[in-house]
Amino acid sequence: MPYHEFECSKCIPERKRHAVIKGPGEDLTHALPLGYLNTIPGSISERGCAYCGAKHVIGTPMKDVIHLSHGPTGCTYDTWQTKRYISDNDNFQLKYTFASDVKEKHIVFGAEKVLKQNIIEAFKAFPVIKRMTIYQTCATALIGDDVDAIADEVMEEMPEVDIFVCNSPGFAGPSQSGGHHKINIAWIKKKVGTVEPKITSDYVINYVGEYNIQGDQEVMLDYFKRMGVQVLSTFTGNGSYDELRAMHRAHLNVLECARSAEYICNELKVKYGIPRLDIEGFGFEPLSSSLRKIGLFFGIEERAQAIIDEETARWKPELDWYKERLKGKKVCLWPGGSKLWHWAHVIHEEMGVEVVSVYTKFGHQGDMEKGIARCEEGALAVDDPNELEGLEAMMTLKPDVIFTGKRPGEVAKKIRVPYLNAHAYHNGPYKGYEGWVRFARDIYNAIYSPIHQLAHLDISKDEIPVDKGFQTAKMISDVKLSGEIVTSKTLRQYTGKYDSVSDLRKKTYPEFKKSERSE
Amino acid sequence: MSCEIKQKERIGTINPIFTCQPAGAQYVSIGVKDCIGIVHGGQGCVMFVRLLISQHLKESFEIASSSLHEDGAVFGALNRVEEAVDVLLMRYPHVKVIPIITTCSTEVIGDDVDGVVIKLNEGLLKEKYAGREVHLIPIHTPSFVGSMVSGYDVAVRDFVRYFAKKEKTSDKINLITGWVNPGDVTALKHLLSEMQIEANVLFEIESFDSPLMPDGNSVSYGNTTIDDLTATGSALGTIALNKYEGGKAAEFLEKEFDIPAIIGPTPIGIRNTDTFLQNLKKMTGKQIPQSLVRERGIALDALTDLTHLFFADKKVAIYGNPDLVIGLAEFCLDLEMKPVLLLLGDDNLTYPTDPQIIALKEKVDYEMEIITNADFWELENRIKNKGLELDLILGHSKGRFIAIDNNIPMVRVGFPTYDRAGLYRHPVVGYAGAIWLAEEMANTLFTDMEHKHNKEWILNVW
Repeated sequence: MPYHEFECSKCIPERKRHAVIKGPGEDLTHALPLGYLNTIPGSISERGCAYCGAKHVIGTPMKDVIHLSHGPTGCTYDTWQTKRYISDNDNFQLKYTFASDVKEKHIVFGAEKVLKQNIIEAFKAFPVIKRMTIYQTCATALIGDDVDAIADEVMEEMPEVDIFVCNSPGFAGPSQSGGHHKINIAWIKKKVGTVEPKITSDYVINYVGEYNIQGDQEVMLDYFKRMGVQVLSTFTGNGSYDELRAMHRAHLNVLECARSAEYICNELKVKYGIPRLDIEGFGFEPLSSSLRKIGLFFGIEERAQAIIDEETARWKPELDWYKERLKGKKVCLWPGGSKLWHWAHVIHEEMGVEVVSVYTKFGHQGDMEKGIARCEEGALAVDDPNELEGLEAMMTLKPDVIFTGKRPGEVAKKIRVPYLNAHAYHNGPYKGYEGWVRFARDIYNAIYSPIHQLAHLDISKDEIPVDKGFQTAKMISDVKLSGEIVTSKTLRQYTGKYDSVSDLRKKTYPEFKKSERSE
Repeated sequence: MSCEIKQKERIGTINPIFTCQPAGAQYVSIGVKDCIGIVHGGQGCVMFVRLLISQHLKESFEIASSSLHEDGAVFGALNRVEEAVDVLLMRYPHVKVIPIITTCSTEVIGDDVDGVVIKLNEGLLKEKYAGREVHLIPIHTPSFVGSMVSGYDVAVRDFVRYFAKKEKTSDKINLITGWVNPGDVTALKHLLSEMQIEANVLFEIESFDSPLMPDGNSVSYGNTTIDDLTATGSALGTIALNKYEGGKAAEFLEKEFDIPAIIGPTPIGIRNTDTFLQNLKKMTGKQIPQSLVRERGIALDALTDLTHLFFADKKVAIYGNPDLVIGLAEFCLDLEMKPVLLLLGDDNLTYPTDPQIIALKEKVDYEMEIITNADFWELENRIKNKGLELDLILGHSKGRFIAIDNNIPMVRVGFPTYDRAGLYRHPVVGYAGAIWLAEEMANTLFTDMEHKHNKEWILNVW
């Protein structure tokens, strides 16, 4: 049996079927852990709730929207300023969050009146913003407030505004994933098809499952624009509410995070016949083949190829500089959902690291299937890991670096494993060719940090080296490299700027003429 | 020219200053040794609070969830609490204390957490964990009542109420710190030790400024023990430094065990630290030693360099936990500054009758506003649309964009302060806190003067 039983979880035997080791010669029929089941109470897992899956992950990256949570202030406060989804409208959605501030009397007598007043107040405070999303929370779901009815009432009284209601209370499902599903379905049911867009290209896509973490979306949009592809909407990073209402007019849905947003793509296929193309913005080869596929779909392969050639020539020597120095380093790839499979193979192939473990907080079995298929033999795969299991895994696997969230990163730090933020990134964006080099650079800087090296010294027991006043990462990383690589004239370290995104916002693009027939 | 106290006029919240009650109870729970709390509610109520606290302290620690789902929301979820207690006890053999912290969802569905504790005590704990010391403490913190501040207050009281026992009266006092940082606890313990006073400190969170050690210590935890909590019932007296964060516990001990209580003021600034020492002296009969006279002198020396030259008449807005805001406002006044706007982020109806607030109302000789049930829009709207001019903002990180977007210098203080390095290490209380606060404010103003070329040359000869 490939199932892996953690020492710390022997007393909760149902956990055994949530972890597997990918054994030699085994395929997925042997090695698929259970997924997307309710967490065992008291096990201290890392999962969030369906409210945060809807509001925090998918809803809030929409940039020109008042995001109002109907409930006590805690849900709003806690999910505010804890992510890095930026936008090109001065980060309105990062800066402002709204709560209807439900109190005890409203729990008893209903909070619909209070909600209505809230909506009006919020629009009054921000007269420029005419769009709003209202998120139900546990408290207001349980008292049975009819949020949709209130939203309709306001829209009738204020015809210039539009309101989207997302009913996804925290208890709705085993994890945040339940919220992803709910908001996907609610958006297509209630909002798609209510705005007609202006079509300016022969090639029109929706970019779906992309949240503009540190500017990812803007990097990818740059490629699409260079190809002459019109991006009708992005679901949802840096996305605009009204553009997303017009999703039905795209020719193709280009899907990035299939975990959180495949639902809407599938619905768009059923309802409007728009095909779905899964792409990957991470890694040179996956990204190149993604651009090629989009090119192929529209018959503009040469435009894609031109970008691939240019970007690869510019950035590959930098990626390879890091690859030489990261070869064989052990990685625990412990993200939330889709990065498990987006990254598993490509960090191995393009950066040379060994993925010794993958885990997912809220992924489903399908994510595990893809992740396990792509990671190395012998890797430990864990579904819905908990605190003690994570610790046990790190103690046994002794990774050189771990990609996970902020708080688990603190645990890793204490046992002297450097961490990179898999959700919000360290110094991203990580998508795109340059972004992928930035990721490699961050991994390199983490592993070869001179301070990290010092953490392994016990001055009470070890021989203290007294011959060095300092060390650089390169002094550490290059010790075992061949002279040829060290002195290579072609390989070089990252040469980009600290902020690689702001300049993209000023860029102009060539005009590709739209053909008459598609008018 | 006067000070006005008013409630926010809008009903909703645009950018909340506080999170909800369970967060306060969770912050209390991590201060207790051998304790892991179970939050009875959705998983987000724990996951995000752990993230928030770990962002602030740059540490990890453990809090569990009962993982409420639809079925529980419909049929009741007490079985999830029973299972959570069992799983926690099985996997964490050191755990002795388990507060069961309720949330809005489990309060609305009416789960009888007190009842399930009795059931577990009679059943599971007797049968499966016979001989093991386990304390289950129900803590009711519905999110739609009060705020993280009252949640903290309630939780401290509930811990004390559960453990406190009257035994032989000791020489120790109870020191209830309120919602502070590890650096504050260090500073407070230093003052006690200089006065040769022993105390049950609620809560010993110094260890959350924890080292990275060669043997790899993975999580941080508080060090207030069951014995400390039990001993609160036999103490000489209680000093609760923050009336809104620990005051309830002090009142409980006074009422239940006749332990004299002194509640507040928070020892922020010279004057309130003096008062704290005077209270310690009164309670214990111990003298204030020369060493503290000297420490106070060092602080006064530092402040004198700054007050009339740089601080005088500087207009300040302050937001955050009420005891902190009031303490900072009083300190600012002593420094010749003008706190013009105080924002208290919940609807506690007792604020207008708070003696410190009344004193401000009666004695401030310029225009000052104190807003209760406030949100950040009360601050931002005044700056953007009502012509409020400020020289400095004091408050926690969630208000950072107001300072950034309006080019107003800001000193991060309170909870959380995740956008500045290491602030949890520095005290705001005691003489050491007075120095840190004043110098942090001064250096922030100096940087701003240089950044804006606003008489930056004045610093040439200072």
